[in-house]
Amino acid sequence: MTAREVVELIKKNGGVPFNERSYRDTFKVGNPDSTVKGIATTVMATFGMLKRAHAAGLNMVISHEDTFWNDRDDVRDLIENPLYKLKTEYIRKNDMIVWRDHDHMHAMKPDFTVVGSLRSVGVQGGENATMGPHVYTIPETSLGEFAAQVKRLTGSRAFRCVGDPKARVSRILLGPGYATPRITAEIDVVIGGEQQEADGGFDNIEYVMDATSLGMAKGVIMLGHVISEQPGMEDYANWMRTFLHDIPIQFVPAEEPYW
Amino acid sequence: MQISRRRFALMTGSAGVAPFAAGAEPLTAEAVIRRIQAELGGDWPSTGPDGFKAGAPSTVVNGIATTAIATLDVLKQAAKANANLVLTYEPTYYGRADGQGQAASAAGRGPAGPGADDVVISGKREFIENHGLVVFRLRDHWQARKESDMVTGLAGALGWSKHRVKSDNGLYEIPPATAEATVALIRGKLKLRGGLRAVGDRKAMVRRILLHPGVMTPATMWQRYSTVDLIVAGEVREWENTHYAADIFVAGEKRTLVTVGRVVSEEPGMRVCAEWLKTLVKEVPAMWIGAGDPYWRPSS
Repeated sequence: MTAREVVELIKKNGGVPFNERSYRDTFKVGNPDSTVKGIATTVMATFGMLKRAHAAGLNMVISHEDTFWNDRDDVRDLIENPLYKLKTEYIRKNDMIVWRDHDHMHAMKPDFTVVGSLRSVGVQGGENATMGPHVYTIPETSLGEFAAQVKRLTGSRAFRCVGDPKARVSRILLGPGYATPRITAEIDVVIGGEQQEADGGFDNIEYVMDATSLGMAKGVIMLGHVISEQPGMEDYANWMRTFLHDIPIQFVPAEEPYW
Repeated sequence: MQISRRRFALMTGSAGVAPFAAGAEPLTAEAVIRRIQAELGGDWPSTGPDGFKAGAPSTVVNGIATTAIATLDVLKQAAKANANLVLTYEPTYYGRADGQGQAASAAGRGPAGPGADDVVISGKREFIENHGLVVFRLRDHWQARKESDMVTGLAGALGWSKHRVKSDNGLYEIPPATAEATVALIRGKLKLRGGLRAVGDRKAMVRRILLHPGVMTPATMWQRYSTVDLIVAGEVREWENTHYAADIFVAGEKRTLVTVGRVVSEEPGMRVCAEWLKTLVKEVPAMWIGAGDPYWRPSS
């Protein structure tokens, strides 16, 4: 089976229309007509992840995020870049193929990135979650205790938290990756992967600092992009095994990049 | 008003340096801003980020505070110090729209965010009104100054001013130290908590450093990272620059990317702004107020 045929199977089994005009959900590097020996699902086709996939005999990589350090995987300014050359040569030399599933994955029901992220932080009830907003209620605890639990469960080193650690919280809204939701009066804590600190569409960080200054119980937890969306790629591998039986399929994590 | 100005001067230990000439026109926020605009030059379009964000421009100014971000805590400190004109580098009202007009949409991924009647927004507005504060955003025109105060300010805060490489504003050559030791120094000098994060080779020796306060784009990262041992940036996107640094580490290059947080990286430059204002507006005191590292992480 070729990589192109694998992608057709994914489109057929996704349960939602596939947007053929998405600039994200495309082949990024490698020959789509190469024979697939094994499939690795991952949140990001990092150089380290590609090496681990190759070592495991998996030559097709399905990555939720980009390969070349920008959302569009626009490589026009990278043609002479030594790291770009090294990475692409490694992929081609080993007959690997990278395909991205991002927009399609977030449109699927459930959205595995949200399901996996909720599970990884220990919030119950998100088995059928989608990217649409849904408030989850946890037993009331302090922001500090909740943050410690989330950090322990996820192993995140990217971890950052804003707000008063003593604030009593129970209403949680989660959006993994760069989709950190906007906080409102009805929500105590937003959890995301990462978000712009200031001067964006809505600045959660400053809002939570000011709410804290006014004595309100509010918090932001940022897990890191990889940490927040990674768990869902294991769900994605499990899902692929329901319709693809003859090819090995493995979840190969990207590394948490921070010290 | 004259008494409060004098009291402020006494409180801040600057009595006598800012005499208020009898019979002179009271100094309004508008007049201060006009002086700043004339000195910095350039166009000041009403559609740009720089401009009045809260308070009446006709307010008589008792003192000026500069800050990287006008959080409520910063405004409380300003009010307490009788500095009723606040110059902020980042927005006051939680986003690029900065309380004027509609905030950018959330692109269908969650709530639209707080409305105009939101209790935090109204709480902040009330505090500003009750204390007669005026908030003006000064970003583009301060950043554009040829002196590159945002960069030199950060270098000063890190104790690296004398290590500047003359030909390049952002480039510094420090006495060799490991990346680990350099990161520890950065943490201490900038009083960082959870906002400090590093990627790359912690054992590598660091000599050449690029300072990049604020946001660093992928294009800058791609061009500059392999020319230095370590980059200190405000913020980057993880899926872009952070993983470029992670990939280069896997490829064997001995470099480190350190992000300290957008606001923390911009604070020293706004401290320089306060010093600059003292030379430009001598009638009233000017001071810098730090917002500090907003982030923390649990110890366990």
